[in-house]
Amino acid sequence: MGTKKPCAQEIISSYDGPRLRIMETCGTHTHEIFRLGIRTILPPNLELISGPGCPVCVTPVSFIDEAVMLALEYGTTICTFGDLVRVPGTRYSLAAARAQGANIRIVYAPLDAVSYAKKHPHESVVFLSVGFETTTPASCLSVRLAAAEELTNFSLLTANKTMPGAYRALKDSADIFLYPGHVHAITGTALCEEMVKEGVSGVIAGFTADEILTALAVAIVRHWEGRPFFVNCYPRVVRPEGNPKAVALMDTMMDRCDSEWRGLGCIADSGMRLKDEFAAFDARRRFHLPPVTGHANPACRCGDILQGKCRPCDCTLFGKTCTPEHPIGACMVSNEGACSAWFQYSV
Amino acid sequence: MCVGLPARIVTMNQGMALVDAGGARREVSAQLLDDLEPGDYVMVHAGIAIAKITEENSDETDRMMEDLF
Repeated sequence: MGTKKPCAQEIISSYDGPRLRIMETCGTHTHEIFRLGIRTILPPNLELISGPGCPVCVTPVSFIDEAVMLALEYGTTICTFGDLVRVPGTRYSLAAARAQGANIRIVYAPLDAVSYAKKHPHESVVFLSVGFETTTPASCLSVRLAAAEELTNFSLLTANKTMPGAYRALKDSADIFLYPGHVHAITGTALCEEMVKEGVSGVIAGFTADEILTALAVAIVRHWEGRPFFVNCYPRVVRPEGNPKAVALMDTMMDRCDSEWRGLGCIADSGMRLKDEFAAFDARRRFHLPPVTGHANPACRCGDILQGKCRPCDCTLFGKTCTPEHPIGACMVSNEGACSAWFQYSV
Repeated sequence: MCVGLPARIVTMNQGMALVDAGGARREVSAQLLDDLEPGDYVMVHAGIAIAKITEENSDETDRMMEDLF
């Protein structure tokens, strides 16, 4: 009779090797790992770092300042994902701008912002286009629809980002990446294979308890083997080729640009902006926005937290002046932020 | 905002799909996937179907753990 094989949870909780750092690069992973209590089974030498996986958390203060400027000084209607509304800008959040009369609308999807613009032809509607490769195709579709319907009152304020630059910027902050399942549902797995050639290990993980535990267990076992590796632990959603139509749509409508990440600084070619032929749908160019420099609260350590340099509870603001009710840093605002999850689940 | 929702396609109409996610129904764009039919399961993100889902996650994770040793 053979020996019983250990289950994923046993592999994780019994890890007793050298210090091993696994970095989540998806906000939903961060939230689910906290919510499911996975951190409570971690042995001392196994560390989960909540990396820059939440688009709201990596969006710089200057972006919020631009949105507030568009709302208050240019009189536009801002359509946005709800998570962004309470992120502090240098002076105001969008919620504070709304209290001063700005028209801020929460939408579920970029296409909903186009519907709003169509129904309100006398308003100039700006959708706050944040997100990674998962969300960018939806923004592209919204512009394609607005162009097809000849809407002249719809544009995007873009802060779209791509993950490869972040993986490379953070490769020394972790031993293994827990890659974001839905980013790679779009981009496929080629990048992860490339990262192996650069000595970077990772697993693509799904989002249920079973999927996250399995991906962590696979990562630990493959790490024991001592060579860089990549395993797609979410093949029911992530195909090697990704979603070719979504990739082609982004390539047709977006150009690469340098992009500022909160805490990480500017990463070359890690952003996406609309190509010149779609400039009429780019709020910065349409309204000739001046360059904006944002200033975060200097005591806020969101940037260090996103790089695994400290834990939320190491920040002097955490749980005192910075709480989900009164967030100071972006990581406390979004449900997917490390500080919010840390606070909510009281690790 | 990154949450993906698995949903079942109820009807298809001109590049849009009416999907059912645990009883909640809404229209999403189906323009980025080919060959979708009512009854298929898709992953929905920010109002678009981004991937067709092929099987139950428990089968997949069981197999992955089997292959590990």
